[in-house]
Amino acid sequence: MATEIIRTESLEKVYSENGVPVHALRGIDLVVNKGDFLVIAGPSGSGKTTLLNLIGGLDTPTRGAVYFEREDLSRKSDAELSTMRLHKLGFVFQAYNLIPVLTARENIEFTMVLMGVPERQRTQRVLDLMRDLGIDELAEKRPHEMSGGQQQRVAVARAIITDPSVVLADEPTANLDSTTGASLLDLMERMNREKNITFIFSSHDPQVIQRGRRLFLLRDGKIDRKEELSR
Amino acid sequence: MLLKIAWRNIWRQRRRSVIVIISVAIGIVATLLTETLSRGMMLQMLENQIGSHVAHIQVHRKGFEANQVVQNYLPARTKVERLVSEIPEAEYYSERTITFGLISSARSSSGVTIVGIDPRREERVTTIEKSLVAGQYLSARRNEVIVGKKLAEKLGVGVGDKIVAMATALDGHIGSDVFRIVGLYETFSSEFDKVYIYVPLKESQEMLALDGDVSEVAIILRDRNRLDQVQQALERGLGGSYEVLTYPEILPFLVLQLDLFQESMLVFYAIIGIALIFGIINTMLMSVFERMTEFGVLKAIGMRNGRLVVMILLEALFLGVIGSVGGFVVGYFIYLPLSHSGVNLSMFSASLNSFGVGAIIYPVLTVDGVLNALLIIPLIAVLGAIYPALKAARFEPVAAMRYV
Repeated sequence: MATEIIRTESLEKVYSENGVPVHALRGIDLVVNKGDFLVIAGPSGSGKTTLLNLIGGLDTPTRGAVYFEREDLSRKSDAELSTMRLHKLGFVFQAYNLIPVLTARENIEFTMVLMGVPERQRTQRVLDLMRDLGIDELAEKRPHEMSGGQQQRVAVARAIITDPSVVLADEPTANLDSTTGASLLDLMERMNREKNITFIFSSHDPQVIQRGRRLFLLRDGKIDRKEELSR
Repeated sequence: MLLKIAWRNIWRQRRRSVIVIISVAIGIVATLLTETLSRGMMLQMLENQIGSHVAHIQVHRKGFEANQVVQNYLPARTKVERLVSEIPEAEYYSERTITFGLISSARSSSGVTIVGIDPRREERVTTIEKSLVAGQYLSARRNEVIVGKKLAEKLGVGVGDKIVAMATALDGHIGSDVFRIVGLYETFSSEFDKVYIYVPLKESQEMLALDGDVSEVAIILRDRNRLDQVQQALERGLGGSYEVLTYPEILPFLVLQLDLFQESMLVFYAIIGIALIFGIINTMLMSVFERMTEFGVLKAIGMRNGRLVVMILLEALFLGVIGSVGGFVVGYFIYLPLSHSGVNLSMFSASLNSFGVGAIIYPVLTVDGVLNALLIIPLIAVLGAIYPALKAARFEPVAAMRYV
């Protein structure tokens, strides 16, 4: 039986743009189970990124609630949300967003530094993971010395190094060519399979949508369609 | 890792960081040179006072300091002399008669302090012998006198001329004697030079009917840090009918001035700091707003606000420390030759002389000065980064990542 890990209830988000309210999400009910490989798809402005940010505790809903492992995120303090993100969530961004002054190895290691993992343990885990993901030759390169695909692989490594329950990937292939994007998705599928990490994507990239085992199609801030795809 | 990130971050905008570092360094150089020069001037004032007359410790009959009349001569002189010579910390001492009097030349007269000295002992205690600018020091011959150059000019006399000195003697009569000027001295204080004249101890004792007694014993210590211990030892040994005074007690205003100077330097640092702090705030604000997206990402991956603030403060600390150390090194290499050659301020010599300072000031760097230079400005740099750091920490992760 599937184990629920994330639930949203009547989730709404209203932004104010120049004093004009913008309804980004209009009552989203969603359940994510442990081990899901789930895609939130939809056109630009449909609310995909907003939904992902609310699930990750990066933003607060206007109405409704997000439950992570059955705990209401609205009841958590900023510090508790930081701890939750650090220990249980991994983020992959469209623009990679690696720390420009750190090498690939240091970028991956940094989250473990924040967790207080001892140095020797950190170094070994980073090297093992980089070897596993085939990016060990990038170890001492800084972000500006890497291609977009290489940076995104390092970003994925940064997201999964702490063994999170869930990885939130916001348009991870948007800046990559299709071959690189496919290779990155292969990697994430492998991590999902081997480590049982839950992946939630927001994307309108057809190859991401094709890979998803569950699909939520957003339109104008509402779930327009849900699909369970057996692969 | 936080240190590493902060260190690398300051070199992302190399030119901007270098400008901040240079401005901090210039501030430090200016402060260091001002402080060392001012401190040198203050210490020179003190040293000149100690060296020209005051010495480290003076022993008198109780009440002499307030009423310097010949009747307040030192009781049991030999007992005092024996005690002083038994104190190992007392390196040199000189016995003196001191009284107010009048000296007259053929042209003019002037009120003076007549000091009777043993020339050999006095030359070890004070710098009068080294301050001679004409003639020679007191010798074994009778009725010699050395006077200040300024006083000689006022009286219209020179080396070889005679003057008459008069003062009230112990028995109340007016003692007088004729002295021949054998030397003219010039100290760093024109006021001192106009007042003090030096005659041989024996003649002054005869003129004042002191019968071998003296007014004070001036002592130079091997180590002036032992001032209080020596004072206590003398007080214990001599009893209540004597006063044993240290130079801070004899020169309270000068010591107060030194204390005030220490405080005024803190004000000076504060002024330099205020000028620098706005530069730091401006630089750090620019740096923070440029990297807002990055801060959003750091928060998203679980970095707490506290660590973010520490990281930004560390960046400012690095800027402050590099600027301070660099400024200190540059300032020190400017200071070093000046501390040997001195800074020639002869254009202000008239006013410096009236303050008891020479025209050449030797800057003095102390541990306090080093600590002030190396601690205060980095601290100010950190203070200047608090506002930008809090600004960065206040943004929600999403707002920070969207910040343009």
